[in-house]
Amino acid sequence: MSEENKKAPVAEKAAEETPAPVDPRVEKATTHLEIIQGKIVSEFGEAAIEEAGLKQFVPTFVIKNELYADVAEFLRTEPTLLFNYPQCMAGTDYKDYIEVYLKIHSTTHGYDVAIKARGDRDNGSVPTLSSVYPYCGWEEREIYDLLGLNFRNHPDMRRILLQDEWNGHPLRKDYVVRD
Amino acid sequence: MAGLRTEELTMNIGPQHPSTHGVLRLVVKVDGEIITDCDPVLGYLHRGTEKLAEDLQYTQIIPYTDRLDYVGAMANNHALVNAVEKAMDIQPTDRAEYLRVINVELNRVASHLLFLGTYLLDLGAMSPFLYAFHAREKILDLFVKICGARLTYNYMRIGGVKWDAPEGWLESVREFVQYMRDQMPMYDELVHGNEIFHNRVIGVGKMTQEEAIAYGMSGINLRSTGFNWDVRKNKPYSVYDRFDFDVPLGKTGDCYDRYWCHVREIWESLKIVEQALDQIEPGPIMAKVPKIIRVPAGEYYSGVEAMRGELGVYIVSEGKDKPYRLKLHRPSFINLQILPKLLKGNLMANMVAILGATDIVVGEVDA
Repeated sequence: MSEENKKAPVAEKAAEETPAPVDPRVEKATTHLEIIQGKIVSEFGEAAIEEAGLKQFVPTFVIKNELYADVAEFLRTEPTLLFNYPQCMAGTDYKDYIEVYLKIHSTTHGYDVAIKARGDRDNGSVPTLSSVYPYCGWEEREIYDLLGLNFRNHPDMRRILLQDEWNGHPLRKDYVVRD
Repeated sequence: MAGLRTEELTMNIGPQHPSTHGVLRLVVKVDGEIITDCDPVLGYLHRGTEKLAEDLQYTQIIPYTDRLDYVGAMANNHALVNAVEKAMDIQPTDRAEYLRVINVELNRVASHLLFLGTYLLDLGAMSPFLYAFHAREKILDLFVKICGARLTYNYMRIGGVKWDAPEGWLESVREFVQYMRDQMPMYDELVHGNEIFHNRVIGVGKMTQEEAIAYGMSGINLRSTGFNWDVRKNKPYSVYDRFDFDVPLGKTGDCYDRYWCHVREIWESLKIVEQALDQIEPGPIMAKVPKIIRVPAGEYYSGVEAMRGELGVYIVSEGKDKPYRLKLHRPSFINLQILPKLLKGNLMANMVAILGATDIVVGEVDA
């Protein structure tokens, strides 16, 4: 659920009555979002974050394509953040672009963040995170295999589930399924 | 022996090989007896579950999840319905939650028994396999009574479960818990003190905590390194916060720790089942849910502790009755990735011991 959806009814109530109880999970996540956003901006500048918001209580940032790996490395090593445990990576075809999603958990501080990057559908690419998180090695191969998005500087950019001779990338929305 | 010509040998293991528990192929390079490189070749069981899901309504996806980790299908059902319920803010009924927990934990016992049996079979011990399957069959009989299937249950629904426990079923579960507790010391006698077994597994296939975390591993593979991470405890879902149980941890992250964590998790699962049997009360098994399930537009991720680690479901919805994108974060796939690193420098004879302890199910690796 997006931040706007969650907050809108609360704001209305607050106007007419006593301060309504804000969902504590939203409140906590919003604080995290602001802290993390501040740190990324002070390190990489305003342009590094293309979009920011809460997705089901997880602060989620769309990072500028070129800076994706650098921001990930920063999130992993910055002592106040230490996002060291990758937990889910997915690629999605949004028809205009392909988006890569990575959810990371901080085992020291105990909270989550999700970072995204976007690549063009035609010959597009995003930087690999496999040098930051070895976890991403196979997940990126899977995204390359099923969605046809390249990862720059990936050490082993091959298909992983389908055979090498396969035509097309099945998880693309315009992929034609043959009977 | 100076001047003896040696060369690197490339060996192909699988896709049809008893130790790979399914259709997994490993291309292994060996220098004498030492493994120098390993390249797992996946995809022989790829059915395109994620693509198929995009054309199915949420309830219709449930039977497809049964085919991922087919020895722990209850947890797969739970992962999907839990993710959809969290996204839609649906609260299943209490009785349904307890029935889910009882079935998932029984399934965990069955899955771990299968691991014990086949792992020891891999290492050359035949008899534990027969005993483990005897006990596992009793659990599968309980599943047949509640949902009609041994492996592909299709038992859970969004908002509850499909079938209530038939008469006498909960008592049979209680009897089974007692039976299993009586059986456990026998497994210890068979295997635990066996010196040959110890020599095969202690100190073999070691990984560090930092490695396991950086590789995003979860489940027993991660816990065997001593890192305390169990989704049931760390991000409680369902009614797991109402039970008192421990999370077994290893110390060194070797094959022995992974084996021993499996054994102790059986004890913990029995503990959970027993507490659930004490707490369960009569009531409805389905909450009020819309006739057609439509997840509000947005992005959602929820995970559950499946038999092999965190099984996560990432849903991108456009507000329709079918997901726009459904990604399955599959623990077997992730846990397998470290295998080449563990094998390098090891003896060829340890390959089966290390692969077996990783405890993968190829249906889940390939999805």
